Amino acid sequence: MKRRTFVGAAAAGLPAFSILGAGSARAQVKEIRMIEAGGKSGESVEVGYIEPFTKKTGIKVIRESPNPLGKLRALVESGQTSTVLMELGSGGMLQARNLKLIEPIDWAAVAPQPMFPEAKHEYGFGYQYFSTIMAWRAGAKAPKTWADFFNTKDFPGKRCLPDYPNYAISFALLATGITPDKLFPLDVDTAFKKLNEIKKDIAVWWKAGAQAPQLMKDNEVQYAICWSGRVVGDPAFGVNFAGGMADLSYFTIVKNSKAEDRAAAYKLMHEMSIAANQAKAATVVSYTGPSPELDALLPKDKLAEYPTSKQNKAVQWVENAEWWAANGEAVNKKWEAFKLSL
Amino acid sequence: MRGQGFGFVAPLLVLMFVAFNAPIAYMLGLAFWEKGRGFTLQHYEGLLEAPVYLRVLGNTMRVALVATLANVVIGYPLALWMRGLSNRGRMIALSLVVLPFWVSILVRTYAWIVVLGNGGLVNRTLQWSGLTDAPVSFLYNELGVTIGMANVLLPFLVLPLFAAMIRIDDRLLQAAASLGAPPRTIFWKVFFPLTLPALAAGTLLVFILCLGFYVTPAILGGGRVPMISNLLDTLINQIPRWEQAAAISTILLIVTLLIFAAYRRLDRKAAA
Repeated sequence: MKRRTFVGAAAAGLPAFSILGAGSARAQVKEIRMIEAGGKSGESVEVGYIEPFTKKTGIKVIRESPNPLGKLRALVESGQTSTVLMELGSGGMLQARNLKLIEPIDWAAVAPQPMFPEAKHEYGFGYQYFSTIMAWRAGAKAPKTWADFFNTKDFPGKRCLPDYPNYAISFALLATGITPDKLFPLDVDTAFKKLNEIKKDIAVWWKAGAQAPQLMKDNEVQYAICWSGRVVGDPAFGVNFAGGMADLSYFTIVKNSKAEDRAAAYKLMHEMSIAANQAKAATVVSYTGPSPELDALLPKDKLAEYPTSKQNKAVQWVENAEWWAANGEAVNKKWEAFKLSL
Repeated sequence: MRGQGFGFVAPLLVLMFVAFNAPIAYMLGLAFWEKGRGFTLQHYEGLLEAPVYLRVLGNTMRVALVATLANVVIGYPLALWMRGLSNRGRMIALSLVVLPFWVSILVRTYAWIVVLGNGGLVNRTLQWSGLTDAPVSFLYNELGVTIGMANVLLPFLVLPLFAAMIRIDDRLLQAAASLGAPPRTIFWKVFFPLTLPALAAGTLLVFILCLGFYVTPAILGGGRVPMISNLLDTLINQIPRWEQAAAISTILLIVTLLIFAAYRRLDRKAAA
């Protein structure tokens, strides 16, 4: 009984107990477990952050993927305590917070190097910026704005859009002439009107990030809304960051995870805040970390490809995950109705 | 006598109950039970208030029906043709029907992209032969989903149908012929009724499998053919609203059981 109260108190985050717990456990923790997005992004976490972390602490990190929110709910509701870190998108993180599946981060324990403010969230360490941008098959007429992208008369060709309302609705609204600073709260009905105008020219609604670039290569579609890392630097595509959405992937702390695992996880987060490590991670995938000093460490000729380089960050807007956490489910019903009308 | 075998089956039954039935019952029960609030019907009320999820279910039924009909139209003549082959021919035809079972469903589904895409084999042949000017859209619509589902599910219909057909005694057909029945009458009055139970069972099996299809609509539908499994995936993994998903799953289960009950009734009537 005594031990259980001790662990419970430590889990609740009482600082005195956490320090004790971390101190006594430092020798014990041999490995921690994380759930991440997989693919190249997972490799970049390994190369950029896990390798230096393991070298310093001797603690191994076991990666597991993919990372749907449903998995986190299953972990927490079944009472497991082995996984401490969970990667979530900005929207997923807030949903998880509202469902009480994750716990606040002890930023004092992380003691991070300088970070962009939106990356230092109460519930998540924003470790990776990614952009959602317009792209086209090389040779197609290059759109400059979202109005161009949605103009199928002057920019003829099939489109491929994400099968996720938070992208499709936001970009459709920008195409009507709304400026990014006035985008939220989203005027959902106007967005659907715009989408209805061009739905005949939207050949495919993608769910997986690899679909859109492949469909452009196959010449099934000529224009697509893509995740930047999938298309930048490839001569087969033209890309434009203007009006693109900058968003963040966060690492969060799973509810009920062990205090000693958390202490290790915070140390790993500290590694994630170091600009040199972020530069190493960016060599694997062209998504970038949250350090404002990162530009200087990245190859100059590739600066145009990264979501956070000064020139790109300036022309993008940041996703409003709070709005989606509050309205997502209601919008999703309208989205399903729209999909039935295709 | 009857109770004697029970001891041998009990471990399996326990395993089935613990590993399969109990989790499903728990999952479906989620729709009625909320932590801290107890019994609730609000997730069903939500379905009635915003019937869009029910419309997705309706759409799934329609797509499943079309794919099943396509399966019957292709599968029945195929089984009939196989019945007329020599023993060796049957072996070859059967292995060709079963062969797709050995290939991953994912690979088969992607193979259709190579075959039916804008730059795929079929479209290139059509354009080369001058039959069409522009590529025909086979994929990323209901046609693509129907083709993909029919391909995956064909063996489920052909195998039981073929098994029933080769059991039909040739002498029955000869007797009908000797009494002066023309081939068409022999087929409709003698042969077809004898294959009907297997056809009904196969059709039902294919239809029920169609209702739960996930991969094929996701890949070949291009996100334009909303099906219930893809909606459930969103509700379970992305939102995650398991309660709503459980309510929809319960309705799907009830609909499937009703179809099955209707079939059983028809079957018993036919037997009587």
